[in-house]
Amino acid sequence: MDLLAILPIQVLHGLVYGMLLFLVASGLTLIFGMMGVLNFAHGALYMLGAYFSFSILMWTGHFWLSLIFAPIGVAVIGIVIERFLLRRVHAFGHAHELLLTFGIAFMVEELVKMIWGGEPLLVKLPSLLNGSVSLLGAEYPVYRLFILIISLMVFALMFVILFKTRAGIIVRAAVANKEMVDALGFNVPMVFLLLFGMGAWLAGLAGVIGGPYLITNPGMAATIIIDLFVVVVVGGLGSIEGALLASLIIGQLQSIGILFLPQFAIVFQFLLMALVLIFRPYGLMGESK
Amino acid sequence: MRRAWIRYGLVWIGLLGFLALLPFFISEFHLNLVITMVIYSLFALSYNILFGHAGLLSFGHAAYFGVGAYTVINLFKHYNIGIITGILSGGLSGALLGLIFGLFVVRRGGTYFALLTLAFNMLIYAGAEKWRFLTGGEDGVAAQRPDLVLPGFSKIDMFSTMNWYYFVTFIVLLCAAFCWFFTKTPLGRLNECLRENEDRARFIGYNIYASKVVIYVISAFFAGLAGGLAGSFQEIVTVTFINLDKAAEVLFMTFIGGAGTFWGPIIGACFLTYLNDTLSTLTEHWSLIQGAIFILLVMYAPKGLSGLFIELRKHMVNRR
Repeated sequence: MDLLAILPIQVLHGLVYGMLLFLVASGLTLIFGMMGVLNFAHGALYMLGAYFSFSILMWTGHFWLSLIFAPIGVAVIGIVIERFLLRRVHAFGHAHELLLTFGIAFMVEELVKMIWGGEPLLVKLPSLLNGSVSLLGAEYPVYRLFILIISLMVFALMFVILFKTRAGIIVRAAVANKEMVDALGFNVPMVFLLLFGMGAWLAGLAGVIGGPYLITNPGMAATIIIDLFVVVVVGGLGSIEGALLASLIIGQLQSIGILFLPQFAIVFQFLLMALVLIFRPYGLMGESK
Repeated sequence: MRRAWIRYGLVWIGLLGFLALLPFFISEFHLNLVITMVIYSLFALSYNILFGHAGLLSFGHAAYFGVGAYTVINLFKHYNIGIITGILSGGLSGALLGLIFGLFVVRRGGTYFALLTLAFNMLIYAGAEKWRFLTGGEDGVAAQRPDLVLPGFSKIDMFSTMNWYYFVTFIVLLCAAFCWFFTKTPLGRLNECLRENEDRARFIGYNIYASKVVIYVISAFFAGLAGGLAGSFQEIVTVTFINLDKAAEVLFMTFIGGAGTFWGPIIGACFLTYLNDTLSTLTEHWSLIQGAIFILLVMYAPKGLSGLFIELRKHMVNRR
């Protein structure tokens, strides 16, 4: 096949994966920017979203129901993690928070294997999303376009909430200066709790829409967390714009890299990470401290 | 000061005697378990140099363990190489990889360091899965360990579990003694200073970057050595030597035992290896229990089992 002919489609693939990656990374970035703790369990929450969706789909048969309820379920779990686990080790320092979330990620993976088994699961899509449309001279699966639309909608929504509403102002102020916002009478621990829940909700949503696309299996958390970490290093921790830029770059690196060097597509992103570390250690959009 | 040295001496002599006599009192099956404990003690000790002393939390130490194991098993398989040279090459290959990655990862501390080490470990893991020529992919590489040939001695049969036990224990003891003395050297002291206050170390005039790279390479060397021993012990190396579970295992061992102390990692390695052996026969969800123990300790005993023990002893003394 002619490489140039499939290039546009491949770019579109990269865009879809990049936006999905951003959907997961945005929650991680939000939590890090706010609480200064990198949530290792974020990939596990994403995986839970996919598995919850599978189960809801099995019980009810409605994909749309799982799209609404699975992320809420994940958000509840996120809130429980923050309130009853993470908050208690906060005093011990960042290393312990990191260790705790790592332990949680480890346990979630084992629990998933225990409950749903180790085999990959097939998620049935509703007929509306199952077909394909003619696009750029090829048949393109509707579902991938759906992923793109949902991701763009969530990004727009987040942007509006963070930058145009009062709640967003409080969140951004708390990121900038926790003590001051606390002194002004806002319940900062509550803001943290809700933010963590929101980050978990985003991870869960990404899991629901990513599960059918990237195959629901117990290894999906470990797979995505590597891409997430590359996003975070390249974009700069705590920067939403950086996460968006890095997600899109990595999406393209993977989908175009696979055209030219299929065996070593994964190497490109690590190369990018190494380059960023050498020349811009704080990431493309990160602030140097 | 002098009394402290005498006490150290007595502890070491007691330990040596215990290790020397152990094979005469336990079954072959249990001796194999002890060998595993000894090898993982070295792995945990190497990890402790980074995590316990330098305060660098790595999620990717399995890379060096695995690379050491693959190097050794391939040397045994394709070349007629002595066992000491083989295992030493395992350590050197770990150190070499540690140098290449270390130049990048030590540029960043804290959270970044953690996720960079993880990402590089995954890169190596992905490479090991794909590069079937050296790793055999999912099937792994199998080879027998050669006999030990020392100048002036006849061949020593390494197939015998007892001989192999003495050989492994001797090497690990040498490394453990090095790790112990390392904490007393200027670089070892600087290592702890980096954990406590990196800025101050910089102001004094130390080259932080270079010291961190050296420390990282030393740690990777011992991890490679432990991997080489583990590979020669099991006589088959698969991707399980290099995956994320292995990286988590050494973190769990060091943390559960108590990071930053000399005995902590050893206690953790023995404790988890023993639990792994007994619990995995009782339940297949052993990892779940391991994760739960880890989370409970992170929450309630942030200094691990040895920290718990010290607390307990203080408590008892105060009561009296």
